[in-house]
Amino acid sequence: MDEFNMVLAGVGGQGILLAAEILGTAAVKEGLNVRVSEIHGMAQRGGAVISNVRIGEKALAPTVMEGQADVLLGFEPLETLRNLRFASEKTTVIMNEERIPPTELTAKMLKYPSLEEIKEKIYCFTKNVITIDAKKLAKEAGNILTRNAVLIGALAATEKVPLKHEHIMEALRELVPAKYLDVNIKAFKLGYEHVKSE
Amino acid sequence: MPNSRLILQDAPGKRVLLLGNEAIARGILEAGIGVMTTYPGTPASEIGDTVSEIAAEAGLYMEYSTNEIVAVEVAAGAANSGVRALTAMKHVGLNVAADAVMTLAYVGVKGGYVIVTADDPECYSSQNEQDNRYYALLSGLPCLEPSNAQEAKEMTISAVEISEKLELPVLLRTTTRISHTRGPVTYGRLVKPNLKGEFVKDVKRMVMVPANARTMHVKLLEKLEKAKEITEKTPYNAIMRKGNGEYGIISSSSAYNYAVEAANLLELDASILKLGMTHPLPEKMIAEFLKNHKKVIVVEELEPYLETHVKAIAKDYAPNVEIYGKTKEKYFPRKGELSTRLVAMGLAKITGKKPPIDFEKIDAAYAEIAKTLPSRPPILCPGCPHTASFYVIGRATGKKAIYTTDIGCYALGIMPPLKIGDILICMGASIATAQGISKTTGKDTIAVIGDSTFFHAAIPGLINAVYNNHKVVLAVLDNLTTAMTGHQPHPGTGKTGMQAMGNRVLVEKVAEGCGVKYVKVVNPFKTKEAEAVLKEALQHPGPAVIVFRAPCALMTVRDKRRKGIEIKACKITDQCTDCMACIKLLGCPALTVDEGKVRINEALCVGCGLCASVCPYNAIACSKTD
Repeated sequence: MDEFNMVLAGVGGQGILLAAEILGTAAVKEGLNVRVSEIHGMAQRGGAVISNVRIGEKALAPTVMEGQADVLLGFEPLETLRNLRFASEKTTVIMNEERIPPTELTAKMLKYPSLEEIKEKIYCFTKNVITIDAKKLAKEAGNILTRNAVLIGALAATEKVPLKHEHIMEALRELVPAKYLDVNIKAFKLGYEHVKSE
Repeated sequence: MPNSRLILQDAPGKRVLLLGNEAIARGILEAGIGVMTTYPGTPASEIGDTVSEIAAEAGLYMEYSTNEIVAVEVAAGAANSGVRALTAMKHVGLNVAADAVMTLAYVGVKGGYVIVTADDPECYSSQNEQDNRYYALLSGLPCLEPSNAQEAKEMTISAVEISEKLELPVLLRTTTRISHTRGPVTYGRLVKPNLKGEFVKDVKRMVMVPANARTMHVKLLEKLEKAKEITEKTPYNAIMRKGNGEYGIISSSSAYNYAVEAANLLELDASILKLGMTHPLPEKMIAEFLKNHKKVIVVEELEPYLETHVKAIAKDYAPNVEIYGKTKEKYFPRKGELSTRLVAMGLAKITGKKPPIDFEKIDAAYAEIAKTLPSRPPILCPGCPHTASFYVIGRATGKKAIYTTDIGCYALGIMPPLKIGDILICMGASIATAQGISKTTGKDTIAVIGDSTFFHAAIPGLINAVYNNHKVVLAVLDNLTTAMTGHQPHPGTGKTGMQAMGNRVLVEKVAEGCGVKYVKVVNPFKTKEAEAVLKEALQHPGPAVIVFRAPCALMTVRDKRRKGIEIKACKITDQCTDCMACIKLLGCPALTVDEGKVRINEALCVGCGLCASVCPYNAIACSKTD
């Protein structure tokens, strides 16, 4: 495999960087070359966060080029839109439905666009869109902070990513604090089943 | 961060995923470095943080120094006692350390000494995007530039070896994309650090009075000649692929990765010369490369450092070769970070090849999406004590004062609705710029600074205010940590890099010791009391210091989670009239408006109670309001 490109995007505090690290670690376990880039922004929370995961021998640069994402993993609808320039018809968009209004929207008393409006915009780039209420499933798993595990589960279920489940689970076990491991595994499964059942 | 056990494993050949900065930390262990010093700064912070976690067990000494020049001086002392040392800092930290570095280049070292400078093209988390390769040129220190995590580890070890061979400190220059990109790293063997030094007196070499400095400058130039031999032979400078002789590309660091991918994208049959040691440059190798190609393209981030040198070398050795870069015809930008796309566009323009991706079409489609997209800039976290402090400062001054601000999370006080922050230059500048403004305008002037930054750079400025009797108020927003860079300890916390308790230095005691007559400590969440104190301080005829002390919200939340204490979000009661006071006064991200109704996002709210204390109708219920 030459390269497989993923863009993970959302809001600070959603566990995006950990999700990217889990995927990157799974790639190393798979024996593959990988680049995981992250930007540690000005604020720890509340700002837009983006991470790129590039797997394969040809992946040297840390960032994905415009239109070249195989997967866009959106942790938040507006942040999914913000990173659509990395998408094209070949991209699968997996989007968490959890809406986190930016303060600009609040300050100007503007309405957060509906899920339908958001999907319409994504369709301009790609028809492959999977939506998932990761916050709800994470709560169901037992901890709202496991929404990243839900989304990794959803990603695994698409079977697009060139990583074996056992390697993803192994990475999850290594990187998630032991006392949260069970809820994370549960969250992963809920995400996985959600996509499989669709 | 992988757990410290992983970094500490003595497992040669093991392949793990590491952040560039973690790879440098691993390199520190494989190089047997005995003393590591740092002042945290993005994108360098994780080097120190990783080492701090494992230092005691690995048997090396690690400290968070008060600032970068202190960090360099402590390490210089250790290295001149024969112990291997390393200091890590962000690019602008090297400005702070420059006075020591410039003359340490004359003095030299006995134990290998590496200075890591992490540059920040694109200013992701910095006030400028200076290119620190020029510090290598300015000081005469050799410079290595890794292009990925594996090289970051290898070069840390090589830098120590080169340093010991030349008896000269070596710069290891990364950028954000090197420091903050994870990649596979194969481990080598751990080397037991030697912490035991011996200081051998040698006045002529080490005491830089003018007569000795003149001699040691000559010595430095001799060392540089030796470095030139190293740079011609090092495997870090190498032709990575050979083309048909028409085009040659010279590149380094992150730019090298973009150059390879861009050449692949365009199917450009070009040779690529990768430079990992960029000071001194391998003149002979570059000359040969120039002679063997008709056209040479220099691909580098930020300043035309390589290009200038390549052109100078061409003048002597290959005057007919055509050289393309960013100076005359601007094929590549001189600001911001590069990307595969930007490099591909430049290469396309030079070679006449067409990229297979229609970027303009993507841009046009994306522009449609972007025009209705609200921005999401970084903001102060829910429960951040700085929000309370800024609310208090705004109230006490009617937002009519001039607010000088500083480097830290609190720089985000400029965001509406708080809007506190009128000038920001560098670490510690708030207190002294305030004095110039106060002196010349006669207006109320409040300098805002964080606790870690106070210890780093504010003290001479504060003494200046006392000595010259400047009427300014210094608001020290003391959240008991170095928050923005990842919660490192500092003198005000008393905790050390060895994860032990040292001695705690209190801001208010320092201020009193500097001779400030008006010094008070307030809790920013007690808004009315804090406001009264600030109003009083503004009446004080000389400099006044107010310490706004409350722990960083992220730290509080983390502590609670660890202890299993439930975080109770605030709740809007039916007293709410939707007057929007909380929204308009605070800008807390946990407060949102839905269909004209104020809501609290339970996933974000940490229950600090600030909104409850500003609500005119007592319509917000919080379990904690202090």
